[in-house]
Amino acid sequence: MKKELIFVWACKALTLLAVSFLFFIFLFIAKESFMFFQKTPLLHFLTGSRWNPMADPPAFGLLPMIFATVYVSLLATAIALPIGVGMAIILSVLAPPKIQWLLLPLIDLMAGIPSVVYGFAGLMIIVKFFETHFSWSSGESVLAGGILLAIMILPYVVSTCYESMIKVLHHYERASRALSVSKWHMMRYLVIPTAKKAIFAALILSLSRAMGETMAVMMVIGNSPIFPHLFRKAETIPALIALEMGGAVVGSLHYQALFAAGLILMLVLFTFNSFFFFIRKHIDEGIKW
Amino acid sequence: MVNDKGKASLFPLRLWLFSSAFFVIASLCVLFGYIFIQGGRELSLSFLTNTPQGFPLGVEGGIWPAIVGSFWFTTIACAFGSFLALPTAIFLAFYAKTTWIVSLCHFLIHSMAGIPSIILGLFGYTFFVVTLGFGVSLLSGGLILGIMIFPFIEVRVEKTLLEFPNNITQASISLGITKTWTLFHLILPGCMDDIAKTIALGGSFAMGATAPILFTGAVLFAPSPRSVFSPAMALSNHLYILVGQGISISKAYGTALVLIVLLLILNVVPLVINMCRKER
Repeated sequence: MKKELIFVWACKALTLLAVSFLFFIFLFIAKESFMFFQKTPLLHFLTGSRWNPMADPPAFGLLPMIFATVYVSLLATAIALPIGVGMAIILSVLAPPKIQWLLLPLIDLMAGIPSVVYGFAGLMIIVKFFETHFSWSSGESVLAGGILLAIMILPYVVSTCYESMIKVLHHYERASRALSVSKWHMMRYLVIPTAKKAIFAALILSLSRAMGETMAVMMVIGNSPIFPHLFRKAETIPALIALEMGGAVVGSLHYQALFAAGLILMLVLFTFNSFFFFIRKHIDEGIKW
Repeated sequence: MVNDKGKASLFPLRLWLFSSAFFVIASLCVLFGYIFIQGGRELSLSFLTNTPQGFPLGVEGGIWPAIVGSFWFTTIACAFGSFLALPTAIFLAFYAKTTWIVSLCHFLIHSMAGIPSIILGLFGYTFFVVTLGFGVSLLSGGLILGIMIFPFIEVRVEKTLLEFPNNITQASISLGITKTWTLFHLILPGCMDDIAKTIALGGSFAMGATAPILFTGAVLFAPSPRSVFSPAMALSNHLYILVGQGISISKAYGTALVLIVLLLILNVVPLVINMCRKER
């Protein structure tokens, strides 16, 4: 009995430790950020359009980076969502089981490819294509970042939609077979309408994935802190942190500014993720009837 | 007539579906094909077993220290990640009695999964490297990678535990056997394959990550690490440096290929073991 109690308490303690890391992370980031906000007002930080930590006085305006992050993520989601939903419909409704068996692990594998490899491939394929076929100043652009990110978030869109579509299909399979409803009819009048929530969940998930993505975007977007334009360079918030963190002195204003940028990103993503969590829960409970 | 109308309006739907499938499969093929073909040219025994050489460092030579470094980062990450994730999963699946605690924990774990990797790197830098004084080292990098894969492992292990056949658990409990004994002698041995598979997948996730170890553990060049407090090279970071600083594109292809092959091994080996066991 005693051993049992010890084991249960050890599990409890470790669970507490694990979830408290979330608070640790938040606290550490927030602590440094608040020191920054004491010197630079939040509003200036959010609406300033110049980022130049080395100037005198240094300028910390995050607006171009915020725009760039939102722009790239929206672009990527706009590309990935229709393709991913289409693929999920094909996989769940039309593809014979053998093809599903072959493609699903491949799509999982696609999600498992490290982002630095995506970035490298994007640089070699997408950016190079832009540079050789268009007369832009450089191939590194918001468009390249958007296309690459779209490919990266595709597996998330496909698997989120596929899971809920397959549930709907199983639910109606017998009734539809008995009525000899065609697959195309089922797709249009059953699968697509009921998948709306799942598609919305996929939208939120892919936006949050895209916004937090660091390496791949950083490698193809060019990284200059200016307002984003589809065919020109830009810099996202994660890229800003990854690039400048190495050069910022611990405890300096620049260092704290990077934490503040991280805090903003984290809060936005936290909102998105909570949203996704509740939609997902809603779907899971809704499908059971 | 009705049939005709139906067919006409199906055309855009078909076009959309098939072109999206085409796009997904094409991008998969291009991605893998490109790296396998280009990387295959670079691959040789000396590339795998030598240290980086030449000026700038990495133009010649191989990636052996990076392979060793990646291995240790992944091992520490898996160990720490499962050290946190397994008890959490066991607690949430079997011992937590109040539903709101379970929901709260699920929500918190889900939120942890959503933290972008660069923020984890930032946290690891202030907490492990500066505050705790571990320095830029295998340990700092490994721990932060462990925190990164914790939600991934926890969610899947909890699912595995919950899917374990209920009748065995119930039978055992109705015989008056304690929950803990049931857990260790019946449930965990039965779930071991799936748990191992999940940890391996988490490991592959950790091995590919760059942003968390960018300031916490990975460096431009280091010999194979001697202790957990020494900094190390990592394949993912090495690839980033080779490309980002334009050192050597051909070596970068080789590194990317090695990284992907290692990840494939981590993904496929548990599957093969599973299949062999089932056949027996």
